[in-house]
Amino acid sequence: MAKFFGVVIDDKRMAALKGTPLEEKVEPIFGGALRRLVIEVPDDLGQKVIDQFTKARFDARGFIEETPAAFKRLVFKKIVEKKSLGPEVIEAAVAEIPSIKDEVAKEDRELPVPDIDISDVLELQKNPVQKPA
Amino acid sequence: MPEVRIKTLPPPHGGKLVDRVVRDPQMARKLMEKCSAVYDIKPTLFKGNPVRNVYREIMSVCYGFFSPVEGSMTKAELESVLEKRRLLSGWVFPYPILFDISEEDFKKLGVGAGDWLLLRLKGEPFAILEIDEVYEITPGDVAVRTFGTPDKNPEVVKVPFDQKHTGYNIYCSLNPIILAGKYTIINEPKLRPPFDRFWYPPKRAREEFEKRGWTTVIAHQTRNVPHTGHEALMKNAAYIGDIKPCDGIVVNAIIGAKRIGDFPDEAIVEAHEMVHLAGYIKPERHMVTFTLWDMRYGNPIESLIHAVIRQNMGISFHMFGRDHAALGEYYDIYATQILWSKGIPSFGFDAPPNEVPGGFYIRPQNIAEFWYCPKCGEFAYSENCNHKGIYSRYSGSFIRGLLNEGLMPPPQIYRPEVYKVVVKWWQKFGYPFNNEKYLKEREERLEVDLPHMELPAHLKK
Repeated sequence: MAKFFGVVIDDKRMAALKGTPLEEKVEPIFGGALRRLVIEVPDDLGQKVIDQFTKARFDARGFIEETPAAFKRLVFKKIVEKKSLGPEVIEAAVAEIPSIKDEVAKEDRELPVPDIDISDVLELQKNPVQKPA
Repeated sequence: MPEVRIKTLPPPHGGKLVDRVVRDPQMARKLMEKCSAVYDIKPTLFKGNPVRNVYREIMSVCYGFFSPVEGSMTKAELESVLEKRRLLSGWVFPYPILFDISEEDFKKLGVGAGDWLLLRLKGEPFAILEIDEVYEITPGDVAVRTFGTPDKNPEVVKVPFDQKHTGYNIYCSLNPIILAGKYTIINEPKLRPPFDRFWYPPKRAREEFEKRGWTTVIAHQTRNVPHTGHEALMKNAAYIGDIKPCDGIVVNAIIGAKRIGDFPDEAIVEAHEMVHLAGYIKPERHMVTFTLWDMRYGNPIESLIHAVIRQNMGISFHMFGRDHAALGEYYDIYATQILWSKGIPSFGFDAPPNEVPGGFYIRPQNIAEFWYCPKCGEFAYSENCNHKGIYSRYSGSFIRGLLNEGLMPPPQIYRPEVYKVVVKWWQKFGYPFNNEKYLKEREERLEVDLPHMELPAHLKK
């Protein structure tokens, strides 16, 4: 069974695809709340990706997930370079993993906390329905 | 006409709730006097990382979550569980529950059958093990027999288990000496916040259900922060009941050692709580609870321990989804549903576990899948929605990937309040979630604190 590699397409990535044949391949997910490109990957290549990163795994849908964000950026870069959604994109990205070693290591250490206001949930938690025994 | 109303909570598994917690300090001191040695509980390590702490099993046994099990299993009991998934009494039980110790520690302690061993946790007396038997195991053999093999269990085991499987590693990492016997907690631990408000051992859970007037309750197993697909699952699965949908929906989180990258347990319980605090399910109908257990990821085998726990809590129905409590592709993704719809003979079930002697009263609610369908405009059930190619399937790993890329999950995936709970714990513990520092610190901190209790003089030497 083939595996899949999904790349989420935000506005910046969408701009990079503008005017290329890949633009039409972008698919909406969750009712258009997100967009993505999907690469179909042969089993052995999928396993090769998994083997590169300790947390990476196939999820229940057959997608390769929990790869570092740096690797996803690299895959997107290769998609744009090769103007393709074929497995050669993943092969090229895997070959260049040594070039993102530092980024991956940094990601393993920390990721900035999102700068959002959480005071409303802290307020809700002040009076929980369930109380300690 | 048969009566369809469910008027009472199901009985405990095995008929009686185990309660092996001594709450009287004088009695505790008397029991400690009978102990001949003290042992400090240590985590089970795999490649230097904690993967299990036996204290969680002692808690779950003594507070009745694992009724009718009362302690560390004897050799005959272990064989029975591995061979038939039954205790010697005939009641279904899926996993070996063992107190393991190294040869070196065993020699140092100098204890044997008939002795009582005082177990210390975080430097304080915690529990007593009444040693009935001492025997040796081959941990790798226990691991293989616990989870099954493609040869012996061809119905559902697809590939041999290996070191990429956390549960397999837990059993492989056990010490070879087993001290079998009953546990008794003699110094009741205090649950740390935020776990304290979700602590509903079976007796308390049943009292709470009765107080709320619930007789039909459905369990939701979790080890994750809930996305909207989980929420849809809970709401829709709860339509099972008797003459009306279930009175209660009980989330029971499995709290224990985790893998790097998983969400912190604190975020998991609070995020589920946020589902009712933010009004997505009425708090009168929704409860968040947890059980201390280092998850074995045993898919169909794990579903049996879930049934034991939840029936003991007084729960009548259990949601079982695709890939239930699974990790990797060792089992058929529908293994749990196969077990609960027709049985798995090679694991000792020629019928579903609620239809065999010594089985369960809790009934399965086998659920296929929920996905987001833009045409239905809802979280659609996969057996209803026929809009092929446009629906989006949920994946916890995919959502963690979004967070990893610095993207805020849209409300179609996460309720904003739930996401903010994740951010709250992100602020406290950092990222990646369950990083090495967090895992190390939490294994020292654990989920409990123990009040100070003096050791008897003869044990201070």
